Amino acid sequence: MSSADHLPSAASYQRKATHRRWWLIISVIVIAILPNVLQDSYWRTNLIVCALNVMLAIGLDFILGYAGQLNLGHSAFYGIGAYVSTLLIIKLGVPFWPAFLCGILLSGTAGMALSIFAVRLRGHYLAIASLGFAVIVHQVLVNWISLTQGPLGIYGIKPPPAIALPGLPAVSFGDSANMFYLVAGFALLFYILLDRLVRSPIGETLTAIREDEVSAASLGINCTAWKVFAFGIGSAVAGAAGAFYASFVGTLVPDAFIITESFTILAMVIVGGIGTLIGPVWGAILLTVLPEVLRGFGDFRLVFYGVALTLAVLFMPGGMMQAAQVIRAQFAFLRSKLGAEGTQ
Amino acid sequence: MSTVLLQQAINGIVLGSLYVLVALGLTLIYGVLVQINFAHADVVTIGAFAAYFFTFNFGGNYLVSIAVALIVGAALGWLVNAAIFAPLRERSNELLPLIATIGVSILLQNVMLLWFGPIPYAFDSPYSNQVIRLGGGTFITGQNIIIVVVSTLTIALLYVFMKFTFAGKALRAVAQDRETAGLMGINPNHLIMLTFVIASALAGMGGAMLGPILVLTPFAGTTVIVKAFAIVIIGGFGNVEGTIIAGLFVGLIESYTTQLVNPGLVDIVVFSLLLVMLAFRPTGLIAEKREENV
Amino acid sequence: MRSAAISPAEVKALDAPGEVLFRGHGLNKSFGGVHAVRDISLSISQGEVFAIIGPNGAGKSTLLNLMSGHYQPDSGAMSFGGADLVGLPAHKRVRLGLARTFQKIRLFNRLSVLDNVLAGFHVHHDLSVWQYVAQGAAFRRNHASCVEQARALLSFVDLEPRADVTAASLAYGERRMLELARALATSPRLLMVDEPAAGLNSAEVEKLLDRVARLRARGMTIVIVEHNMDLVMQVADRVFVMDYGQYLFDGTPSEVQSSPAVIAAYLGM
Repeated sequence: MSSADHLPSAASYQRKATHRRWWLIISVIVIAILPNVLQDSYWRTNLIVCALNVMLAIGLDFILGYAGQLNLGHSAFYGIGAYVSTLLIIKLGVPFWPAFLCGILLSGTAGMALSIFAVRLRGHYLAIASLGFAVIVHQVLVNWISLTQGPLGIYGIKPPPAIALPGLPAVSFGDSANMFYLVAGFALLFYILLDRLVRSPIGETLTAIREDEVSAASLGINCTAWKVFAFGIGSAVAGAAGAFYASFVGTLVPDAFIITESFTILAMVIVGGIGTLIGPVWGAILLTVLPEVLRGFGDFRLVFYGVALTLAVLFMPGGMMQAAQVIRAQFAFLRSKLGAEGTQ
Repeated sequence: MSTVLLQQAINGIVLGSLYVLVALGLTLIYGVLVQINFAHADVVTIGAFAAYFFTFNFGGNYLVSIAVALIVGAALGWLVNAAIFAPLRERSNELLPLIATIGVSILLQNVMLLWFGPIPYAFDSPYSNQVIRLGGGTFITGQNIIIVVVSTLTIALLYVFMKFTFAGKALRAVAQDRETAGLMGINPNHLIMLTFVIASALAGMGGAMLGPILVLTPFAGTTVIVKAFAIVIIGGFGNVEGTIIAGLFVGLIESYTTQLVNPGLVDIVVFSLLLVMLAFRPTGLIAEKREENV
Repeated sequence: MRSAAISPAEVKALDAPGEVLFRGHGLNKSFGGVHAVRDISLSISQGEVFAIIGPNGAGKSTLLNLMSGHYQPDSGAMSFGGADLVGLPAHKRVRLGLARTFQKIRLFNRLSVLDNVLAGFHVHHDLSVWQYVAQGAAFRRNHASCVEQARALLSFVDLEPRADVTAASLAYGERRMLELARALATSPRLLMVDEPAAGLNSAEVEKLLDRVARLRARGMTIVIVEHNMDLVMQVADRVFVMDYGQYLFDGTPSEVQSSPAVIAAYLGM
């Protein structure tokens, strides 16, 4: 993974950085073009959901794939971000962006709290603890009716306020294209941030912790602190997604954040390629878009998730990234064979 | 007032014994494989549906349908082990099989959703309406008696099996040290399969008896399973006695919370208890703390 | 940025040679019913090679784990360079200069050989988190210097040509040496090695002893846990003998070799 960056030649380091820059430019262009290509509201909704799922998936991958913490309660942070920001706006009249920030901070804090709590627990116990946490959060959302209006839900949530840039017409987020730019823009931002972290010694530290905690401790790494850090960051990103979700959908019900949601995000991470960051982006896109494309076959979406996840784990645990590598290797092999035959 | 308390105790024990049936399967699997099987929930659901269809579409006897559910559960257990756990046993990653079972669970739930639809099935056992008065102003339905009797018998049989038969002892040997058990001429793979079959049979039975109590949808199992996890942790992963005690305990807590506090808070109470357990005694009520061997 | 990590090429004696570096007094550790370490007291001086030996099950590895912080003692006192160790977790002790290797080799198997060693430099990084995200010039300079030092360490254990290979694909003897190099990357003042010769062939053992001697020549304090007496005699300055978790004897190698109590303990097994 990162050892390729340690090749002695500065040239290859430069090459990789240039690669990344090109991908960044392409992504920005694609994001800019998409709403113009897909003009109907159904597909634009899908695009926005896609962007939200990307945020959720990369956040979970940071926790699961880099810090090695099996978090099955990601839906809770999604929900906390959504409800905290919305309630601040509706009940206290807080403007959108400060409320957004609070949503992120609170879900990040919740993530850190869960992590501190689970710090001594090994894999399976942490999984169950996070699941239990998610159930508790969901049940609180359902039962604290005076605060959240319970299963009836909160209605009439407005999109983020229009931004007026000097000299330009106001950018309204009621327009789904602009909403997509906003959400996708943030998704891209979060991706770049996480990517930077992962390519830094912080990423190496997390990898060390994931591979062997005892070993990492013997090298001076404070495993607890870093696990809490990773959990906080991953859950904060989920909180941001939640805040955007609420302001986009306009309606907030607790059942949007049941534990099944955690499993679908997990599926995106695994199918995409755990611990690769870019893999879960593709996984989120694939598992959001493909079931919509297959909609003609009936309500197959979740069956598809189940099949994809099971098959991935059984046959290609590295997900799409592993599949891509296998294909690339095959091509290289074929090319070398053809090259050899060509010279004969 | 004491009537209410006593009544809730009875209800709690009934509920608890069902939870024990489901949780025992999980704990047995964990004991032998050190793996969590998320698809266990769906075995419960499928057991419930199997019993339903046997009773109502096939016109069979309800009590026999419990046996049918047992067989269906056993078959499913065999399938899940053969398809998921056996192939993954070679891989060193201990969390991959768990994730695979999540995938299977999603798959099964949504296939059932497509097949059976989201509308709850009214599963009324012929015994649900028979009411028998016990002392002190309390009562119990015929269904609940069946639950308690069947569960107790099954658990007792299981206990005898584990303690006194060769297969049972072999199972405990594999749970303690798979390699050494293998060296003693026990085939761990066969025993793991046996464990799965037993565990899933228990789950299927549990489902058949839960059917009339729960809202029967494809998601019925999930409402039980997370609680079953809580029980397994409170009782101690792999610890049969602990699971039994914890299961009854959780059943009692649930019924008391429902009656005396607020039905909506049941899950919160149970899972807060779970988190408290994890904070202070993650290895369960009875097991001892072990420092990792470096 | 704080002072750069000290490379083994220039290990300076931070304390005067001969001064007591590590002190342990009345250490006890039990697991369930097993009293693995009973009332052990020891002191280790700067610059010496201190061997802990004893028959199997004597409690040597447990003692090492107490020293490194992977276990906490039930009772007793410990200090390193004057700093109190009791209650201090393992990762904090590394910052003080206590490094170790493990009896059962623990490497980051999926990482490359170089990455394994690089992981050891984290303890002495002192860049701010912002630097990690922005990855400016300071970060790049720091990184380049770490890579250079890591390669030097790999040369020290003859693994430099294999720097980009996955750790999992190394032979057993090479893995041992890699673990050693990684521990050295933390710039330790005291290095603890747990049964380093286990599983090595005679050529590899020779190489190991040679490296230990070279480190000692540069002034590093080394603690070796071994149950192979012959090996230890060649390289140790002082030998500490344990049996059944208790102190049996300590002295120079020749004193230990001729002690009737020690001989009885080994023959009695």
